[in-house]
Amino acid sequence: MRKIALVAAIAMLAAMLVPAMAWAGPKEIKIGVIYPLTGPAAAAGRELRAGAELAADIANQVMPGINMDMAKNGGVKSLGGAKLTLIFKDHQGNPQLGADLAKKLILDDKVVGILGCYYSSVTKTVSAVCERYGVPMINGSSTSPTLTKRGFKWFWRTTPHDKWFTKDLFEFLVGLTKGKAKGVKAVPREEINTLAAACEKTEWGSNVAIEIKNFAKEYGFNLAANILYAAKSPDLSSEVQSLIAAKPGAMLFASYTSDALLMIKTLKSMKAKPKILWGQDAGFDKPEFVSLGDDIVGVLTRSVFLPSVVKMKPLSGQVNDLYVKKMGHDLDGASARAFTGLQTWVYVLEKAGSTEPKAIQAACNTISIPGNQLVVPWVGIKFSTKGDEIGQNVLGGGLIGQYQKQKDGKIGLEVVYPFDIATAPLVYPFQGY
Amino acid sequence: MEELGIQILKSLVSGLLMGLVFALVALGLTVIFGVMDIVNFAHGEFLMVGMYTTLLISPLLGVDPVLTLPLAGLVGAVLGVLCYFGLIRFLLRGPMIAQLFGTFGLMIFLRNLALLFMGSEPRIVHQGWLVGKSIVIGPGVVLESTKLAVAVLSLLSFAVVWWLINRTKVGKALTATSLDAEGARYMGISTELMNALAWAVGGASVGVAGGLLVNFWPVDPGVGLLFTMIAFATVALGGFGSVRGALVAGILIGLIVNLPPVWDAILRSIDAVGLRGLDIHSFKYTMVYAIYFLIMVLRPQGLFGWKQ
Repeated sequence: MRKIALVAAIAMLAAMLVPAMAWAGPKEIKIGVIYPLTGPAAAAGRELRAGAELAADIANQVMPGINMDMAKNGGVKSLGGAKLTLIFKDHQGNPQLGADLAKKLILDDKVVGILGCYYSSVTKTVSAVCERYGVPMINGSSTSPTLTKRGFKWFWRTTPHDKWFTKDLFEFLVGLTKGKAKGVKAVPREEINTLAAACEKTEWGSNVAIEIKNFAKEYGFNLAANILYAAKSPDLSSEVQSLIAAKPGAMLFASYTSDALLMIKTLKSMKAKPKILWGQDAGFDKPEFVSLGDDIVGVLTRSVFLPSVVKMKPLSGQVNDLYVKKMGHDLDGASARAFTGLQTWVYVLEKAGSTEPKAIQAACNTISIPGNQLVVPWVGIKFSTKGDEIGQNVLGGGLIGQYQKQKDGKIGLEVVYPFDIATAPLVYPFQGY
Repeated sequence: MEELGIQILKSLVSGLLMGLVFALVALGLTVIFGVMDIVNFAHGEFLMVGMYTTLLISPLLGVDPVLTLPLAGLVGAVLGVLCYFGLIRFLLRGPMIAQLFGTFGLMIFLRNLALLFMGSEPRIVHQGWLVGKSIVIGPGVVLESTKLAVAVLSLLSFAVVWWLINRTKVGKALTATSLDAEGARYMGISTELMNALAWAVGGASVGVAGGLLVNFWPVDPGVGLLFTMIAFATVALGGFGSVRGALVAGILIGLIVNLPPVWDAILRSIDAVGLRGLDIHSFKYTMVYAIYFLIMVLRPQGLFGWKQ
């Protein structure tokens, strides 16, 4: 009898404990974050890492000063306040290494999902690993259009991609000829009708080159030179010679950091005089690039986030203040998008209420994050689930910024496109070298 | 046609300058190989150290980057001698493979040391006599002052090394050491000293090269590889151990990588619409290595090689 009573007591205790344990859910949610923390893009890697860390910090604590849902919960509410733990890995810009790291994160660290990888080439291999293992991957900052054209079921991208950004450029050029740019009279079309482009030749740059070619044709511009070059090259003078010889009104670039610096130095030494000099973010939007000083006044770069966005969006200002405290400088395109990438993970987990891959997949496919939750100036985040692009955020948008000398003498980026939200008059033409 | 003529002139000038830059970087490599039969994989890292030396010392002393060149050379020479006495001397006792991996390890060590102390971001020199300057010598023909300075230094260095090896007693001792170290020792030549001297000369030349290059090129811990890949091709093309070969091969490579603009000008002058999309810029280093491959097949000792 006593035995039966004991068994019954244990059974009752167990019955009470089991739902309690199930209700408690996981204490931590591990997200694998793969970025280039060393190697040629380490500078970008540092910003990306800081952006993701800041988003995790805000999600894990209650921060009354931040007008964002995830700042009010102190963890993922639907998972019992579970905290996010980020496991960082360094892919060094190497696609193969990236794939190996993804496998390790999935099999050894048992991560719930993956964020990364900045380099489109690495994102390509890492997402293939995630697809094979059925582990969700959210990508915040790789912009090669092909990534969301593979019909993957476990890959979602928050950032707009290069097709959109390149279209923005051509809309900007056309707008310029129609007098839409702030502070500039209509520019005669023939002044900027000839274009010359030089893009680095990995996955990202070569796809930008294709987009430039396609849009030049669509918008009726003459693309007189479209060069691919090795980003790890000791010399760019032959490329610059060909660019100058094409006598373009606008020079267009897709460069990483070191090659962007070398490109500007070579353009200067060869006395290039385009009317417009535009870079596709990346190397053109880095602190090292700004250190070129007066040489970049008037240079345009596409971006998804410029410090002057804080003038338009108070929430961006709040997060930017925290970022400045952490890093000593403003958010940039890389850090703002890494922040948004991890933020998306938090909202997805909140919606899924589970760390099961299937539940996360369903949450990703149905989530809708309004623009007022984001630091980036987008309408929101909503992933496409049909058509020729699967997993692409359809509510994103790009900006074009121009380096201008500000009142304090420092060089900073001002928004010049979209024209209706320009924060400063456009400096046109580019000063030339 | 006139445009084509000007472009050929531009490419010649640009190719010559860049070729002399490649040759200067390759000089130290070929000297060390010539004397000791050792391929120094860490050569590019010596260049990187030279670049950082100028980058850091110039603002510290408040002088122009160009004036810090002797110091960059000295740092390169000291580093060379240290590497010789600290590592290479021991490697020489081992098989060839140990020497290869030894200098490869040295490369990784120096690069990571730089990563630790300097961080990974590319850095540039902002001000100086050479920074951002160039001389226009004709319609569109531009001499970039940094490259011009490196080219002049390159020619000078080659002249000095040639003179040192061919016209001095020390040079004879160096040559003797490289031909037959044991025989040289019997003749009373301190081969140890000769080896150390080769490393000092190699380190100094590439250190000075680095000090000049940083006026134009951004420096980061990985910058060495950009130049050493070409330097290896230069040395192999010119013939391992041949000083004259390094000069000629360097210029040859400089000219090859400046061919694409000429090709573009040809397309424009004949208005070949069908060939418009054919961009050969992305193949410029492929051309270099294709020629390298050809010469290796036809003449394995290189253009001016004398060591088998």
